[in-house]
Amino acid sequence: MTAATPTASSATVPDQPGALQTALQSRGLRKILVLAVAAAVLVPLAHAKWSSGTWPSDLTVDLTGPLGRTSDWIIDNRDSHPLFVYFLGHLSNAVVISVRAVYQLLLLLGWTGVTAGVTLVAWRVAGVRIAATALISFAVSGALDMWLPTMQTLALMIVAVIASVAVGALLGLAGGLSERLFKILRPVLDTMQVLPAFAYLLPVVLIFGIGVPAALLATVVYAAPPMARLTALGLRGADPGVLEAVASLGATGRQRLLTARLPLARKELLLGLNQTIMMALSMAVIASMIGAAGLGDRVYQALASVDVGAALAAAVPIVLLAIVMDRTTAAAGERMGADPAARGPELLRGWRAWAGIAVLTALVTAAGRLAGSTVWPSGWTVAIARPVNDFKEWMVDHLYSGVPVVGGTADWAAHFTSWVLDPLRDGLTALPWWGALLIVAALAWVIGTWRTALTATLAMAAIGVLGVWKPSMNTLSQVLAALAVTLVLGFAVGILAAGSKRLEAILRPVLDVMQTMPQFVYLIPVVALFAVGRAPAAAAAVVYALPAVIRITTQGLRQVDPAAMESARSLGATRWQTLRQVQLPLARPALLLAVNQGVVLVLAVVIIGGLVGGGALGYDVVTGLATGDLALGLVAGVAIVCLGLMLDRVTQPTQRRTTGKGA
Amino acid sequence: MAAAAPEAGIPQPREAADNLTAKDVRDSPDPRDVVFSVRNLWKVFGPKAERIPEDDELTGLSAQELRERTGCTAAVRDVSFDVHKGEVFVVMGLSGSGKSTLVRCLTRLIEPTSGGLDMDGEDVRAMDKTKLRELRRRRAAMVFQHFGLLPHRSVIDNVAYGLEIQGVPRAERRERAAEMVEKVGLAGLENRRPGQLSGGQQQRVGLARALAVDPEVLLFDEPFSALDPLIRRDMQEEVVRLHEDEGRTMVFITHDLAEALRIGDRIALMRDGKIVQLGTPEEIVGSPADEYVRDFVQDVPREQVLTVRRAMRPAEGGETETGAALAPDTLVADAIEAVARSGGAARVMDGKRCLGIVDSTCLLNIVARIDAGEVAA
Repeated sequence: MTAATPTASSATVPDQPGALQTALQSRGLRKILVLAVAAAVLVPLAHAKWSSGTWPSDLTVDLTGPLGRTSDWIIDNRDSHPLFVYFLGHLSNAVVISVRAVYQLLLLLGWTGVTAGVTLVAWRVAGVRIAATALISFAVSGALDMWLPTMQTLALMIVAVIASVAVGALLGLAGGLSERLFKILRPVLDTMQVLPAFAYLLPVVLIFGIGVPAALLATVVYAAPPMARLTALGLRGADPGVLEAVASLGATGRQRLLTARLPLARKELLLGLNQTIMMALSMAVIASMIGAAGLGDRVYQALASVDVGAALAAAVPIVLLAIVMDRTTAAAGERMGADPAARGPELLRGWRAWAGIAVLTALVTAAGRLAGSTVWPSGWTVAIARPVNDFKEWMVDHLYSGVPVVGGTADWAAHFTSWVLDPLRDGLTALPWWGALLIVAALAWVIGTWRTALTATLAMAAIGVLGVWKPSMNTLSQVLAALAVTLVLGFAVGILAAGSKRLEAILRPVLDVMQTMPQFVYLIPVVALFAVGRAPAAAAAVVYALPAVIRITTQGLRQVDPAAMESARSLGATRWQTLRQVQLPLARPALLLAVNQGVVLVLAVVIIGGLVGGGALGYDVVTGLATGDLALGLVAGVAIVCLGLMLDRVTQPTQRRTTGKGA
Repeated sequence: MAAAAPEAGIPQPREAADNLTAKDVRDSPDPRDVVFSVRNLWKVFGPKAERIPEDDELTGLSAQELRERTGCTAAVRDVSFDVHKGEVFVVMGLSGSGKSTLVRCLTRLIEPTSGGLDMDGEDVRAMDKTKLRELRRRRAAMVFQHFGLLPHRSVIDNVAYGLEIQGVPRAERRERAAEMVEKVGLAGLENRRPGQLSGGQQQRVGLARALAVDPEVLLFDEPFSALDPLIRRDMQEEVVRLHEDEGRTMVFITHDLAEALRIGDRIALMRDGKIVQLGTPEEIVGSPADEYVRDFVQDVPREQVLTVRRAMRPAEGGETETGAALAPDTLVADAIEAVARSGGAARVMDGKRCLGIVDSTCLLNIVARIDAGEVAA
C-alpha cells in the first residue's frame, strides 16, 4: 500500500473504501443516518402512544372556541374599548378618509386629467414608449367600461403604496443602520415574503372587520416587506471604499447617510418601490374579498358566478395597470445611473418638467370638465363580456370533451384530478403522521441546515396540532402536483432558452408580462378552459410559477463559468455531456433557488384556487370570510402560514443565507 | 543632449530632498517641523485586543503564534516614526504587512489599540469627535486605492465634496473644485460621472478631491496599485511634480519598491506589522538592515539609487586636482557615464573640497554589489 506511487493510489481510491465508508463520508447520507436512528427510537414510542395514521386527536388543540370568543369580543368592543377608540379607530378613520380623498381627487381630475397626468409622468420618468403604453392602457380601461373600478383600485393603491413605502423605508433604514435590528428584521421579512397573500386577510378582518381599512392594512403588511428588505440591503451594501473615503473627509453621520449611503442605495430603493407597487396591486386585487372595491371586486364577483367575460373585462385593466406601473418604475431605475445629458434637453429636466406636467394636466382636466365629461363617456365603451362568454360557451361545447385523439380540456382536468391529484392526496392522507414529519425533516436537513429542518418540522407539526391535517394534506397534494409539472416544464424550457439566444429573446417579453400580473388574474383563463375544480387551481399555479422557474433556470445555466464549459468542450464532450456533467451541477444553486421560488409561488396560487373549487385550506379561508366564521378562516390561515414556512424551509438551500450576507 | 541631461536634470530634485533629510538627521529635530509623531503604536484586531500591547510575553510572539494563542491579529506592532514637514514619507511592505492599517490609524479611520500619536504636537488619540472631524476635514486628506468616488456625482461635485462637507457655499466650492480639476489635468471632463472615466482619470479625481480641501498632509493608500503600469508611471510623476510645486507633506503607502524609491524621501519598510528599516532610498538599498530587506532590494538597479558618495574611495596623491568633477549626490549611473566619457577617474566635489575619487572599479563594485569592506579584505 505505502509503496504505491501517488498516481496509482489515487487511481484506485474509488474502489478501495467500502460502500459504507463512502456513504458515511457523504454529508447528506450521514444526516439521514442520524435521522433514521432517531426515528427508530421515537417512532415505536409515538406509535404505541398515539397510533399511526392521520394526526392523532390527542395531539390537537381546538382553537375554534377561543378564536370565536376573541372574534366575538372584538366585535362587541370595537366601539368601546380604548384600544379601538383611541388607536385602531383613528387608524381606520384615517385610512377611510385618505382613500376617499384620493378617490375624489381622481374623480375631480376626470378621465382626461388622470390619463394626461399618468401619461406625462410616465413620459418624464420612463420615456416615450412607456408613456404611450400608459395612454393606451388607461384608454382601454375606459373603453371596457371599467373606469370607475379602475379609479377605485388606483385610489386604494396610491394610499397603500405611500403607506407601504413609508413603513418599509423606515424599517429598512433602521435595519440598514443597526446591525442588531437587521438581524431581527431579516428572517421576519424573508418569511413574510414567502407567505401566500391569503394568510394576511383573516387577521386584519378580525381586528378591523370587512371594509377598506382591513383591505388597505392587509395590502400594506403584504407590500411593505420588499421595500424594507431592499432598503436595508441597499444601505448595507454600499461600497465600503466610498464610505471610508467619505469618513476620511470628516463627514458627520448625517452627511454620510444623506450624501453617500442613500444615494448609493438608489437602485435598491427603486427596485424596492417597484416590488412594493407590484405586490400592493396584487394584494389590492385579492383584498376585494375583504372589502376593497374596484377591479378585484369585479373579478371576484364574476368568478363567483363563473362569468368569464365579466371577469376578463375587469382583469384586462388590472394587467394593464400592472404593466404600466412596473415598466415606469423599472425604467426609472434603469435611467438612474445614466448620464443626465442623455435624458433630453435641459428644459425638460428638474422642477421645470414637473411644473410643466402639472400645468398640462390641469389644462387637460379643465378641458375635460368644460366638455362636461369627467367619467369615461358611456358611448365610447365596448362590452366584451358577452362575446367572451359566447366564445367560452363555444369552447365548452367544442373543446371541453370529445375532441378526437387529444381529448377535451375538461377531460384533461378530470384525468389530472383522478390520476394525479387524487392518488397523491390519498397517499399523503394515508401516510402515518410521523412519517410525514420524518420526510419533511429529512428533506429539509439534507438540502439545508438543522435549523431549517427544525423550523420545517415544527411548522408541519403545528398543522397537525391545529387539527387541519386533512385539508392541509389536500392542499399539499395540489402543491406537489403543480410543482412537479412546473419544474418539468420550467427546467425544460429554461434549458432550451439557455441554449438558444433566439428562444430567450422571444420568451423574455412574455415572461416579463407574466411576471407582472397579479395572481388573481391567472384564475380567469383556467376557469374558462377547465371549468372549476382542483385541476384548474393547479393549472393556474403552474402558469403563475412557470415564468420565475424558467427565468432562474436560464440565468443559472447562463452564469455557469464559461471556462469550465470551454474546458469540457475542449475535452471533446458532447452538448448533452456538457449540460449533464458541467452546466447542471454548476448551476445547482440556481436550480435549487428555482425550486424554492416555484414552491412559494405555486402555494400562493393553489391557496387562491380555493375560489375556483380548489377546496382545502383556501376554501376554508374563503368560507370563513363569506360566512363570518372567522375561527375557521383563521385556523386555515395559520395552517397556510405553517405550510408556506414548511415548504420554503424544506427547499431552502444553505446558499441563500450565505449569498445574502455579502449583498 | 542626452549626455548633458542626466547631470543637470535628474539629480536636482534628489539634492533638494537630501538636504531636507540631511538637516533632520544632523540637527536635533525641531518639534514644529514634525507633522506626525508616532510612538509605539499598536493596532490589534480581535477579542480583548487592548491587553496584547501591555503583555510583555504576548508582544514577543510571532504573528502566527499570537493568532493561535489569543485569536488576535496584530496588524501594527510597536511602530514609531516621525513624518517631517515637506517630506514624502513612504511606508512600504507586502500585502498584509500592516501598512494600510497604519496609515488609517493616522487619522483614526481605524482606532489604534495603544501608543502615542501626535499631529503638530497635538495628541490625536485624545481628540473628541468634533476635533477629529476637523482634523480629517482640513488637515489630512486621503487618496484611496479604489478611489472611493461617489458614482452618482459628476467629477466636479466629487472634487467639491470635501468642501461641501465643510459647509463651503456652493459657488465657492465649485470654483475651487474647478481649479483642482484643472490642476490634475482633467479640464473638460467636469461633468462626467466617475463611471465614464478610466482608472487613471478616476484617481486624478481622487487626488483633486484630496487637494481641494488644501490639507496640511496628503495620505496616499496604494493609490496607483489598481492602475496600468504606464498610467501608474504618469501618476507617480504627477505626484512628484505636485510635491515639487507645493512642498506638501505626504505619507505614501505602496507595495511597489520601484515606486517607493522613485518618490520617497524616506522609506519605512514594514513586515508583519513592524518597521524593519527606516531610511532614505539610498540607505535601504545600500545598507539593508537584515536579510529580509536585502532580499527585498536585491533586484533594484543599485546604480539608479546609490550616489557617488557611497561609491567613492579616498583620493590618493594628485588625484584631487585633476579629472571630471561630480556633485556628491550624483547617481552612480550618471557617474559611470561621466567616467566612461572622460576615460579616467572623476572627483567627487562638495564645492571646492574634494571628498573622494570614483574610478571604474569603484563604480563597478556598486553595480556588482561588492561592498567596500569586501574589496579591502
